[in-house]
Amino acid sequence: MTVQRDVVVKQLAELNITGNEEGLIPGYNVLVNQLPAQFWNNVAERMMAAAPADKKEEVEAALVNAAYECGYHTGYGIINSDEFKSAVTPMVTEGAKDVLRGAYAVFTAWGWAKSGIVQIKEGERMVIRAMDYYESDGAPGEKRAFMIRGVSKAFMELAYSAPYPEGMNTFDCEQTQGLECGDKYGEFVVTKK
Amino acid sequence: MALNPKFTFDGNTYRHYMNGVMSVLHCHHYMSLTTKMAEDYESIGGVRILIESAEDAVRPLFDKYCAENGVSDPVARLQVGAEFYPVMGLGLMQFQGSEPGGDVTLTRSHVDAGWQKKWGNTDHAVNHFTCGYIAAMFAAAFNKPARSYDVVENASLAKGDPQSRFAVTLK
Repeated sequence: MTVQRDVVVKQLAELNITGNEEGLIPGYNVLVNQLPAQFWNNVAERMMAAAPADKKEEVEAALVNAAYECGYHTGYGIINSDEFKSAVTPMVTEGAKDVLRGAYAVFTAWGWAKSGIVQIKEGERMVIRAMDYYESDGAPGEKRAFMIRGVSKAFMELAYSAPYPEGMNTFDCEQTQGLECGDKYGEFVVTKK
Repeated sequence: MALNPKFTFDGNTYRHYMNGVMSVLHCHHYMSLTTKMAEDYESIGGVRILIESAEDAVRPLFDKYCAENGVSDPVARLQVGAEFYPVMGLGLMQFQGSEPGGDVTLTRSHVDAGWQKKWGNTDHAVNHFTCGYIAAMFAAAFNKPARSYDVVENASLAKGDPQSRFAVTLK
């Protein structure tokens, strides 16, 4: 057996996540929030639109980095959480590769993207495809799945770089296809730096 | 008034909805870094962009909820916003207000606690997200268009103040 994404998603997505008596959602070693997805899209779209030509690359990198750090720290919390141990670990039979598959199942359950790994060369390269993701919403345009890019390289580092928290900045991620630019799916290629 | 939050999950697209508005889970790292990025890019209006992005994103939720649940009294509509705040994991909010404006306090805050977890106390108010959230609350309550209210954070949990306080003024 290997990790079955849809089984994991079903288990985790049905958890009723809401604030505690302090109005906060502690979990996975972080504080979680649940916001209208439009907020994150508004910020990304408007920051990119406001950036002058000579700053666009820099702003894009900042948007990716915000998700990257989130993905690295939260991803570590996820794969070490009780929820992960309960829903995913029993299906892990292929080591780091399966842990990654499980991480993408959680990624999907959190509403980030209906996504999964389609190709992996352990420790070297990974290809992710997303059939639906909120970053593609809105007017057609250029590739803009900055969050998926950041989180994907973080997950690869958690699986194959030095143990947390020493493994950062060892992989890159490029978006090669995008629903937002008329492709059939979003595709993301993670490679070693 | 007791808020009736409803969460649904679309088994086809794998998207979440909160009372019919698409929602997504993220963490304090993402919020803190997005806030910091907005401040770092103040030269292109980063903070204003963040505030307006929040206002425009939460307003449809308040309007939809009030319409579907027959909430018409302005104070009750403000209460809807205050009660959604902890549901989203954003903290605890109290308010007083009328059409010309009001005051909002936070005794717990995701944005501030997240910033402190990541970087410790700060020397300036950082809860720009909530400025936009409150602007949407008041505009929804009093049926005003977006950008009708100025919201200024004049005390901040992230700075070490005992509460965050926001002054709200009709423009």
